[in-house]
Amino acid sequence: MPEKIINASYDALVIGGGIAGGEAALNLANNGFKVLIVEKDLSIGGKMILLSKVFPTLDCSACITTPKVSEISRHPGITIFTGSEVKSIKRKSETIFEAEVIKTPRYVIGEDCTGCQLCEQACPVLVHDQFQYNLVGRKAAYIPFSIASPRVAAIDIENCTLCGACEKVCPTKCIDFTQKSEEYHLDIKTVIIATGFKLFDPLMIPRYGYGIYKNIITSMQMERQLAPTRPYNTILRPGDGKVPDRIAYVLCTGSRDVTVGNPICSQICCMYSIKQAQLLMGALPMADVTIYYINIRSFGKGFEEFYDQAKGMGVNFVKGKIGKIREKEDGNLILRYEDINENIVKEAEHDMVVLSVGVLPNTDSAAFFPDGELKLDPFSFVYQSDPLSSPSKTSIEGVFVAGTATGPMDIPDSILSAGASSAEAISYLNRKL
Amino acid sequence: MNKKIGIYICHCGGNISDYVDVEKVKQSVENEDGVFLVKTTMFACGDANQKEMVDDIKKNELDGVVVASCSPKLHLITFRAAIELSDMGCPVTLIEREHFIGGRVAQWNLLFTTSETGKEVVTKLYNELIERDNITLLTGSEVIASAGSIGDFKLKIKKTPRYIKEECHKGKLQEAINVCPVVVADSFNFDITERKAIYHNFPSEYPQEPVIDIKNCTRCGECEKICPSVDFSMKEETIEINVGSVLMATGFDSYTPSEGEFGYNHFENVVTLPQFKRIIELNDKKLIFKGKEIKNIAYIYCVGSRQIKGENKYCSRYCCTSAIFAAIHTKSKFENINNYHFTRGIRTYGKQEVLYAESLKKGDIYLQSYEDDPPVVNQVNNKILVRINDILTAKKEMSVEADLIVLVTGMVPRADNSVASLFKLPKGRDRFFNEIHMKLRPVETVIDGITICGACQGPKNIMESVNSALSAAAKSFSYVSKGELELEPIIAKIEKDICTWCRACAEACPFDAIKMVKDEKKDVAAINNSVCKGCGMCLPVCPSDAINLIAYSNREIESMIDALAG
Repeated sequence: MPEKIINASYDALVIGGGIAGGEAALNLANNGFKVLIVEKDLSIGGKMILLSKVFPTLDCSACITTPKVSEISRHPGITIFTGSEVKSIKRKSETIFEAEVIKTPRYVIGEDCTGCQLCEQACPVLVHDQFQYNLVGRKAAYIPFSIASPRVAAIDIENCTLCGACEKVCPTKCIDFTQKSEEYHLDIKTVIIATGFKLFDPLMIPRYGYGIYKNIITSMQMERQLAPTRPYNTILRPGDGKVPDRIAYVLCTGSRDVTVGNPICSQICCMYSIKQAQLLMGALPMADVTIYYINIRSFGKGFEEFYDQAKGMGVNFVKGKIGKIREKEDGNLILRYEDINENIVKEAEHDMVVLSVGVLPNTDSAAFFPDGELKLDPFSFVYQSDPLSSPSKTSIEGVFVAGTATGPMDIPDSILSAGASSAEAISYLNRKL
Repeated sequence: MNKKIGIYICHCGGNISDYVDVEKVKQSVENEDGVFLVKTTMFACGDANQKEMVDDIKKNELDGVVVASCSPKLHLITFRAAIELSDMGCPVTLIEREHFIGGRVAQWNLLFTTSETGKEVVTKLYNELIERDNITLLTGSEVIASAGSIGDFKLKIKKTPRYIKEECHKGKLQEAINVCPVVVADSFNFDITERKAIYHNFPSEYPQEPVIDIKNCTRCGECEKICPSVDFSMKEETIEINVGSVLMATGFDSYTPSEGEFGYNHFENVVTLPQFKRIIELNDKKLIFKGKEIKNIAYIYCVGSRQIKGENKYCSRYCCTSAIFAAIHTKSKFENINNYHFTRGIRTYGKQEVLYAESLKKGDIYLQSYEDDPPVVNQVNNKILVRINDILTAKKEMSVEADLIVLVTGMVPRADNSVASLFKLPKGRDRFFNEIHMKLRPVETVIDGITICGACQGPKNIMESVNSALSAAAKSFSYVSKGELELEPIIAKIEKDICTWCRACAEACPFDAIKMVKDEKKDVAAINNSVCKGCGMCLPVCPSDAINLIAYSNREIESMIDALAG
């Protein structure tokens, strides 16, 4: 049980500190409203801050995100709770919601931490690094990632052995194992749901052998290998640390596939795969990159031209869905597929396979509200009650939705959706106040 | 005594380090005189790194710092100036070139995903619009001139009258329309039907008042005799308004196929997708076109988009879904319809995928070709055939005898974009308007105070257009609601004493930021600080070197060159 209950009030509660939530919060705060961002992770910036370069402009994702994150964290009108979760949101009166938010302890006094990483060096516990998508390890006392905001250490209490090594080395004595979780009871006028999406787990498709064959990674793991804050200084296949030279992309892994319960297209995988292919050709000039696809969906502004550019660079596009993958003794992989152009079943050997995993709904948001109040659509994304004229309206008045919480979309569309939801929230606040 | 200088070299993720070896830069400068510390950093703009710099400066008592990173124009806004903007609340003027509002959506019947009709959506919005008394609606109006800048645009608007004072007496309007001898193609129905020079709105258009198409009217006066409300004495007016921000939502044109493209204009049963949608709506029970009942429909995709020879390289985004939705709608509205889709690979992205699955379930046939081998339309013995080498069946040659061929045409920029040149809005290589940055500032243009949204910026479906429209509204509102304006830190500055007002700078300025003002005795150039972008175009043309760029004055640049050369 949390020891203390803290009361406060805000004009707007933004749930999720990714690019959509951050953009919505900035718009609201710039119009003079008091905003609280509640972020489940230890840093704001969402998935975008972890990406390499972004399509179709190929500018560095972190370089776009960090100034934005910096603006959000310094804005006098925005309060940020990281490592925090919304427990419930109930309507208190016509204009007020009551939200319960739990802030879990970081076991580090954030204001005193200098991010010196001495605790990290001292900690003897090694676990998978979730921010590097398990490619490498991290300590139980750790800074989430180098450009995290806030860049403050945290203790992973589930894996911590309470050995006290970090406490001893900390120069500012900011590690505090006595911290308790705090419960906030907040009066809120409007809510923006920006809870983002989850990635498809390829373990659901056993015939691809992810998790068994070491040289198969997900597209997010490749994204980390290509990012400026990457774990290795080059591209390595995990099985034996060899630099790959025949890389395959398997598009529609977990998308457009009723057998895994996801009939819809994830909207971003074609483009991020084409982007990664272009970056790989830059990083590994001798490597062959092949993209196996059903349809290439390069539909946005500048996307088709980006696809043409990849073809021009020599990325090999093969129309055909991968049926099965098996591993050879040397760790290379045999992909079995129907080559649509030649109308025969073929096999091809690659030394590394990237599964272009799709977008799944984050269903957490429905649980914030009393039973069934926040409707979900048939695919479990947040239901848009008026998608053509008011795309950010939900089934609850005063609660709006932004970004991929409504369905798969790319970064520009997420930012526009966030702009729309903040516009709706601002006009709602102006009408209600 | 040597000065203590700190140097920070930024990787900027890879934006810099992919092109410059930053570690080498570090090595080459660290032994220079006066250099106290050199650090490379992944993101100089990150909070933690800036904190580190501050700590370094304090700890080491540095005399100066050099940050080698991206242009400060991207990240720093160093000073502010307050300009009084319009009063609180945000009055809006909506300017529509046509006499009716509703735009393209009014021309569409059933809409994906909600199966609302275009009429329902437009009616809903129109009702909300007229409820608000701070919105002025100007139809038949066009912006013909613009002056001023953010916070104070002066727009000149030409408003053509409707030539009808008020609603005709009941029944009289139809009589008046009947007697009008002028018959023109009805652009609302994409020219598949005709209308008179005096005409009424469609049920999905507003306001519900008739109008006389004065360009085609012969002034025969027949309608005037029947309906006393007709008034040819009404005059074109020019209105001037002052606004703080301009939101451009000028939309798109549908691609018009070239003569003979897939049989367009050569065979009478070849229509475009927008025409087809009107045909669906105008028919009941049986689908009739040019007197013949339609059963077999061939849809040819990517007409005017993803062109190999033409200049429209882009994908028009909405058409796959729109065509499939129309095909399904046709099947449910009429009997015995067979749909054949000649595609370049279906792009029903996101949740729209379920529509594609539904159409497959309903028995629609999909065939595909690549860009280098498109389908061919020709006539054999009075029959129109569409032939394709279908890659989905190992390039088997397939032919479909079609009663109607629907060219799934994409979106192109408006043919008449004169309003954009008034504001000097930049266009991308696809000729749609360009935003400043797709992700950071997606609805702003390089012209401060002017936002863009909807399909004038690039193809979008309705939901995407509305999202961008609301974003642009929020942005436009924040321009005027704050009452103050953040200016570019780096702008040009005129040395009045030296300036002789030769006009060269004003002519060189791409943003119209330089005007002549009267100084004590002479005429001199003056910079409008809220318009100047600090581009520096005026500097080299000034014959007397009377212009400097703040932070980049000639003296500063020269000292940098000296330092480098020395």
